[in-house]
This record gives sequence, structure tokens and C-alpha cells, in this order.
Amino acid sequence: MTAALLSIDRLSGGFLGADGGIAPVLDAVSYDLMPGQLTAVVGETGSGKSLTALSVLGIQPPAFRRTGGRILFGGRDLLSLDAAAMRTIRGARISIVFQDARAAMNPVFTVGRQMADVFRLHHGGSARHAMDRAIEALGRVRIPEPERRARQYPHEFSGGMAQRAMIALAALICQPSLLILDEPTTGLDVTIQADIMTLIVELCRDQGLTACLITHDLGVVAETCDAVVVMHAGRVVETGSTEQIFTAPAEPYTRRLLAASQLGEPV
Amino acid sequence: MSDYAVLQVDKLRKIFPLAGGRRLHAVDGIDLTLHAGETLALVGESGSGKSTVARCVTRLIEPTAGDVRINGRSIRPLDSVALASLYREVQMVFQDPNASLNPRLSVRQVLHEPLRLHLAMPRDKREARARALVELVGLAPAHLDRYPHELSGGQRQRVGIARAIAAEPNLVILDEPTASLDVSVRGQVLALLRRLQRELKLAYFFISHDLPVVRHMADRVAVMYLGRIVEIGPTAEIFERPAHPYTRALIAAAPIAQWGVKRDRLRLAGEIGSPVDPPDACRLVGRCPLEQPSCRTAEPALLTVANGHQAACPITLGQSATLGQSALDRPMPSQTAA
Repeated sequence: MTAALLSIDRLSGGFLGADGGIAPVLDAVSYDLMPGQLTAVVGETGSGKSLTALSVLGIQPPAFRRTGGRILFGGRDLLSLDAAAMRTIRGARISIVFQDARAAMNPVFTVGRQMADVFRLHHGGSARHAMDRAIEALGRVRIPEPERRARQYPHEFSGGMAQRAMIALAALICQPSLLILDEPTTGLDVTIQADIMTLIVELCRDQGLTACLITHDLGVVAETCDAVVVMHAGRVVETGSTEQIFTAPAEPYTRRLLAASQLGEPV
Repeated sequence: MSDYAVLQVDKLRKIFPLAGGRRLHAVDGIDLTLHAGETLALVGESGSGKSTVARCVTRLIEPTAGDVRINGRSIRPLDSVALASLYREVQMVFQDPNASLNPRLSVRQVLHEPLRLHLAMPRDKREARARALVELVGLAPAHLDRYPHELSGGQRQRVGIARAIAAEPNLVILDEPTASLDVSVRGQVLALLRRLQRELKLAYFFISHDLPVVRHMADRVAVMYLGRIVEIGPTAEIFERPAHPYTRALIAAAPIAQWGVKRDRLRLAGEIGSPVDPPDACRLVGRCPLEQPSCRTAEPALLTVANGHQAACPITLGQSATLGQSALDRPMPSQTAA
């Protein structure tokens, strides 16, 4: 048994209310991300799947209060690190792709410039060299005419193109060991969605990346992921290999979610 | 009951003029017929023109050319007073129930409005009807006093459905009604829509990009690409024997929540093209793996594939006629739950 790259260990917490009380949202959430695997965290709105992932990067909403648990990354508890130590991890070791790439990018800088800046922040070097790396990364995610595209602004990109650029930034420019993808294909057309998922799987294989795909869409999971974590109402309901979750789900909630995704009759 | 189709769309065009004399062909000559009690789905990617069709059908925007008949009556010459009476017969459920419900109206006020405007019901009758309506869509009378922000997404969409059926229309236009809902809620809302269709004999014009949902709901499917209908036919026919490369690519791309499903790998190159001043050629030119030189010389017309099934691709249809076991006959994945 190899060691997990990231272990979420009984993470609990809630949102601070106006009355000073804490409304619990995460209840002893535990799961492991194994090195080199693509693990899906699936659940519906309010299941806590995104909140858990944002906590890994220390970018959870300010009203969130942890009441217990650890997040171990390469043996270190990320929740015990100070802001400076966390900055050496965020982006460089663990990076993230958000749902709406055009909203995640800065609208007043060109796409190439944003990517080049991030490259220099993590790896240094000249601006010219960084821009070359940005153009190369855009080419690798199969954006046509990467030189011209690098000079464009986010609003000139379609949703699918912007998501490709975001993936190039998070995976190829940052060169992390763990990539978190938070609903990367939600809101995109199905044909674009399929291309983006193919790209994610290829990049993870080529770069030896460990990835965590947060999604509500079990259809996307079936073809691409190695392992699945099912979350519901702030708890981990079931974990297993993708084959196991799809062919022999143990928990009633997993069976209900599968049936709803397949549009079968409700159980 | 009349002999007319509930909805008849005839050579409908909507062209938006752009700066510099260019013209955006959002809907470029489409024909559709929807019969009483039937569900016709209109599918396609963003930018294909589906929502523009819906807006022309309800005359929220003015068509450039062509005709739309609802229960046999052309909607194009109607003035605003006559249009108001049209909306007794045709109603719409919108994608985003957050945006389509007035945040300052309670559910009661939302439901009373169509009853007052379309049916001129007195207050006490309206109240009884509003109570019946919330129960019909699976909510409780207590919800009548709630405001939209006090409801969940699924409950809001139920209110949107109750509002649409309040004035007893026979045609309901559903514009991506479940796109913003979680899967378990999606299943409940779809079940509700099917039950209402049975009980109230509604015809649905179902606009969606979600193919599993379309397969679950529709009797017939029309596939739209850049303002044109490229394929239309019975749902089972479209999903099991798609004839147009665009339909095949769409079906191939739709994810299936099942283990070990192998999909037809037909892929289109690039992204949806531009609807501005399209050339006289197949709109799929440049993306299609089956492209031939003849595809660039004329816009293909819809050809009959089988009874009630038409597709606008002479290339695949020619192939299937001459080759028999062509790419067309490759089995498509089944999406029925085991």
C-alpha cells in the first residue's frame, strides 16, 4: 500500500452565524488522494465537496470555522502552516482550476501575461522566457495559434478555450504535484466538455499528476476517474474504485444518486 | 379539440443586423410541427439558435420571416391585446427560476396574477385555484406565503411550473427547465412534468442541451446547428440510428453515468462556427470528419432517412444507401438504466 499524497483526516467545521454559534457543514470528512490517480469527489449542492477542497488550499470562505481534523500533504498538516508557508504550497505544489475560467482570470491583463507572471513567480527567469513558456503551454492544451491567443484578453476567449488556458496555467505553468479541478466542465457544451476531460486525463498521465475532480456529474466520472468519493450533507458516504462505485455501490445514497444520474425510476 | 397542430413553425427566420451591413442568421429557415399532448425536443449547443426559436414562438422577439401558428392561428399579425390572449394558450418555463420569479412577490401573488389576467377569476376562486396548483406541483399550501428566496431551487422551479399551467395552456415551452438543478431534484421535476403532461394533456416544446434528459422526456427530437434543423425524428430513431454527423458527435460527447460504456468516437474539430453571413454550404464545413468537396457548394436539404426521420447530410445518407453496413449502423450506447 503506497502512502496517500493528500489525506483529509476527520475534517469538521461549520459557518459562524450572526449569533456566534457554528452551523455545522463538514462532519469528520476523511478521504485520501493516491499518487498518480484521478479521484472524483461527487455530491450535490451543499454536500461540502468544494468547501473541503478549498480548505486544502486555505481559501475557504472567511466565515468557515474548523472544529477538528487535519489535512496531511506529504506528511505535513496544512492546517498548521502559517500564511508564508502556505504560499510556498499554494500554486507551486497544489493548484486549482475553477468552474468559470473567464471569471477566474483577471480581465485587464492578456491571457499570456497572466500566465507569464505566474511562471516568473514560481520559477523566476526573464519575462521573455516566461512568455515563451506561456505560449508553449497554450499550444500543449491545443489552443490554435497560441502566439496570437496569448496576446488576447479573457473576454476574447470562448468558455472552452478559457478553460483550456486555465488548465494550462494550473497544470503546466505551476507544475504542481496535486491538481484540484472544481467543476471544470460545468456550463460548457457537451462536445467541449468531452474534449476538456480528455485533455485533463492526458495531462495527468503525461505529467504524472495526482488530481482531484470535484463534480456533481457522475457521467463525467465513469470514463475518466480511478477512484470516487461520494459526499452527502457534509459527510463522506462511500469511497471506492470507480468500477466498484458504479457496479456495486454499497450505500443507499450512492444508489439513489446513480439512479438519478441515469434517469432511472427513483429508488 | 381542433384539427390544427398545437404549434406549426413555417420557414422561420430571425436575422439580427450587425454593424457594417453584416447579418447574424440566428434562425435560418426552420420548419417544426408539434401535435397535441406531444413532447418535441429542440437540442443543440450554445449559439445554435434554440432559445431564439423559443422567443420567436412566443413573440418575445419579432421573427424576420416565416410564420408561427399556435392552435391554427398565426401569431405574426397579432397586436398586443390579441397577444395577451395568446398567452392563455402558450406558456413558458424558464431555465433559471431565480431570475424568472419576482423576488418581491409571494408565491400566492405569483399564482394569482395569471388567474386574474387570463381567466378573470374573482379573488375567492383564485385562492382555491392557487391552493390546488401548489398541491398539483408537489408543494404545500403553506408555501403560498413564501417568497422566492425562502424556497430551494427545486421548489422555485415548481412554482415556475405552477405559474405556467395556471391559465390552462395547451402548449408549454420548457427552456432548459432542469439545467440549474441537482440530479436528484432534476429527476423529481422531470417526473412532475411528465405527470402534468398526462393529466392536463399538455404539449411540450422542450429546449435542452442535455441529451439524457431529452431521451427520457421527448417523443420526437429536432437537432439544431447554427440556425438550421440538421436532423429530426422519433427519439428512439435519433438516439439509436443518428444519421447526421453533428447528431452523432453530440450523442458521442454526452457523458453516461455507467461503468464500461464504449461510445462512438466521432469527434468534430474546433468549436461552433459563426452565424454571421453564412456561406451557401453545409454549416458543419471545417468541423466534420466526413466532409466532401460537395459539402462546400450547396446547403444540404433535409432528406428522408426513414418514416418521420429526416437528416440534412447527403454524405452519410448516400453511404448508408450504397454501403449498407456503414458507420451509421454502428451500435450506439444504450442509456437506459439497468
